[in-house]
Amino acid sequence: MSEATRTRPATTAAAESPWLVMAEQELRDLWLSGRGLAVMLAHTTLLSITTYLIATNQELNFLEQREAVALTVQVTVAVGGLLVVLVAADAVSGERERGTLETLLLTPVPRRSLLIGKGVAAMSLWFGAFLLALPYLWWIGRDVGTFGSAAAGTFLAGTLLALFLTGVGLLVTTFSQSNGLSLALSFFLLLGLYAPHQLPAEASRGWAGETLLKLDPFTSALLYLERLVINAHTLTQDLPLLVVPALAAAGILTLALALAGRLSLLPRSG
Amino acid sequence: MDVITGGTGQVAGGTRPQTGPALETHGLTRSYGARVAVDSVELLVERGVVLGLLGPNGAGKTTLIRMLSTVLRCDAGSFRVAGVAHTDPVRIRRAVGVLPESAGYPRGQTCEEWLTLHARLFGVRRRDARALAARLLGEVGLEDRRRSLIAGLSRGMRQRLGIARALVNDPEVVFLDEPTLGLDPFGQRQVLDLVTRIAREHGVTVVLSTHVLDEVEQICDRVVILNRGRVVADGTMAEVVRRAAAPREGRLEVPADHRARALDTLAAHHVPAEPGANGHLGMVRLELPGDVAPEDSSAAALRCLLDAGVPVLGFSVEGGRLSDAFLRVTRGDGDE
Ligand SMILES: Nc1ncnc2c1ncn2[C@@H]1O[C@H](COP(=O)(O)OP(=O)(O)O)[C@@H](O)[C@H]1O
Ligand SMILES: [Mg+2]
Repeated sequence: MSEATRTRPATTAAAESPWLVMAEQELRDLWLSGRGLAVMLAHTTLLSITTYLIATNQELNFLEQREAVALTVQVTVAVGGLLVVLVAADAVSGERERGTLETLLLTPVPRRSLLIGKGVAAMSLWFGAFLLALPYLWWIGRDVGTFGSAAAGTFLAGTLLALFLTGVGLLVTTFSQSNGLSLALSFFLLLGLYAPHQLPAEASRGWAGETLLKLDPFTSALLYLERLVINAHTLTQDLPLLVVPALAAAGILTLALALAGRLSLLPRSG
Repeated sequence: MDVITGGTGQVAGGTRPQTGPALETHGLTRSYGARVAVDSVELLVERGVVLGLLGPNGAGKTTLIRMLSTVLRCDAGSFRVAGVAHTDPVRIRRAVGVLPESAGYPRGQTCEEWLTLHARLFGVRRRDARALAARLLGEVGLEDRRRSLIAGLSRGMRQRLGIARALVNDPEVVFLDEPTLGLDPFGQRQVLDLVTRIAREHGVTVVLSTHVLDEVEQICDRVVILNRGRVVADGTMAEVVRRAAAPREGRLEVPADHRARALDTLAAHHVPAEPGANGHLGMVRLELPGDVAPEDSSAAALRCLLDAGVPVLGFSVEGGRLSDAFLRVTRGDGDE
């Protein structure tokens, strides 16, 4: 080898941030390999079916336009959340299972940066799901003028939920014995958090039940969106409802990143 | 055969400060549950050496390499790699290159993409990283595969790609964990040639873990044999063989009807001998004393036979090779 090739890798302060390098590669793997596009196609199909059903129902006057918009918002948040949590849940245990984790751990990159890079890629699926939903939101709500606030509110509340789910997925994947376990666990956690919102009407729950439910980030965020879209509240009117999702997201992400140092080649040891 | 001699004189360029030996371990120990995988290992390896790390399956080679490359913590003991203490894992990672055992590769990335990524994770700028990737691919004979997906590479090509990856940070010590596992003879040859070339051209210390003894005999200067987590032999090839080689044995073939006479003749000359293995009526096994060079003792045995008029159809000496030493010190232990 020539002299020039022996220069040690540059490690000056101006070097790229490792989490950014990691995120760039993960985004490329996700979106250029077709995996990301495939799930977006599935998402579009689902939105189209929903819209079709809504349109036919509206002709029969079963659904108010506002309710129709709220339904589309819910579908978007649910699909986006599912995609985010599944990709995040694959981050470490998937690499471990595919035998590619060791080479990543052999780099001088802090474990935390690896997780952040992968978390960014997971979040991108939420943004994709959100962007795809915009035309549907506009079309369905075209007569009631909800588009602006519905889009902004969905972005706000959905992003908080996506961040929370990224944290859940990263935490679970870091400590799971296997990738299957990580994916299953994350999926059922998502179901468990989403389910309470689907319980029967608020009235039947009583004060205590209501408070308890608001501690579920999903219930709070979806309630915020419901009031925003159906009750035509302003974006700021119910902001306190987003405190729980925001705190939950911040808390779990902090925890996941704080425990990143425990990330090891073999689960539960190292 | 190229043999890399020890010493640091070959460090090309010689620009980096190299303090201390390539490897130094004290009481290095690691268990999985109750199972001790690496047990109080003491090693001192000088720079520029190609070290063969031998041992049967389950001996602890992979565990040892993983600890030394900081991806697995040790339970007890201490070590230094390239002069860096184990308490500074990030600096160790900057100084070592590793081809992990049965490493996985991201199937959806191209060779260039993957190498570029890893170079960048070591702090190389994007543009330099791409140039480095191209150069390393050339070095391992994959220049025409730059844009190929890793999924489409043969096993041997993947191993060479893995070796290229181990070099992205211009390491001082390179660990190769069973690099020829599962390769055909041609692939094995290519990988071994590559290892030899890397050791020479990059002036690095190479630790080659394997249970294929031929490989070690071909390219290593020094051998460490692990068994059940312990170092059971350590030294140059010649030292290990001399210290541990089994009692040497000769295998003699005579016409079947001459075997009885051959045995009598050998007995008369105090050469321990017995009828050879199953069914071969002309085979005789004789034991050669370990304190005399095998050429001399076998010559004496053959001479007495020829003097007695016994026709000798064939004769070979066994033992005195690394494989004998290996079997002797490991006594056939291993997971399988
Ligand atoms: N992840 C693990 N969990 C439990 N035991 C392990 C694990 N990895 C290795 N071992 C055990 O540790 C011992 C050493 O294994 P290893 O370092 O892989 O040996 P080698 O590489 O020489 O084949 C073996 O007995 C093996 O069964
Ligand atoms: Mg091994």
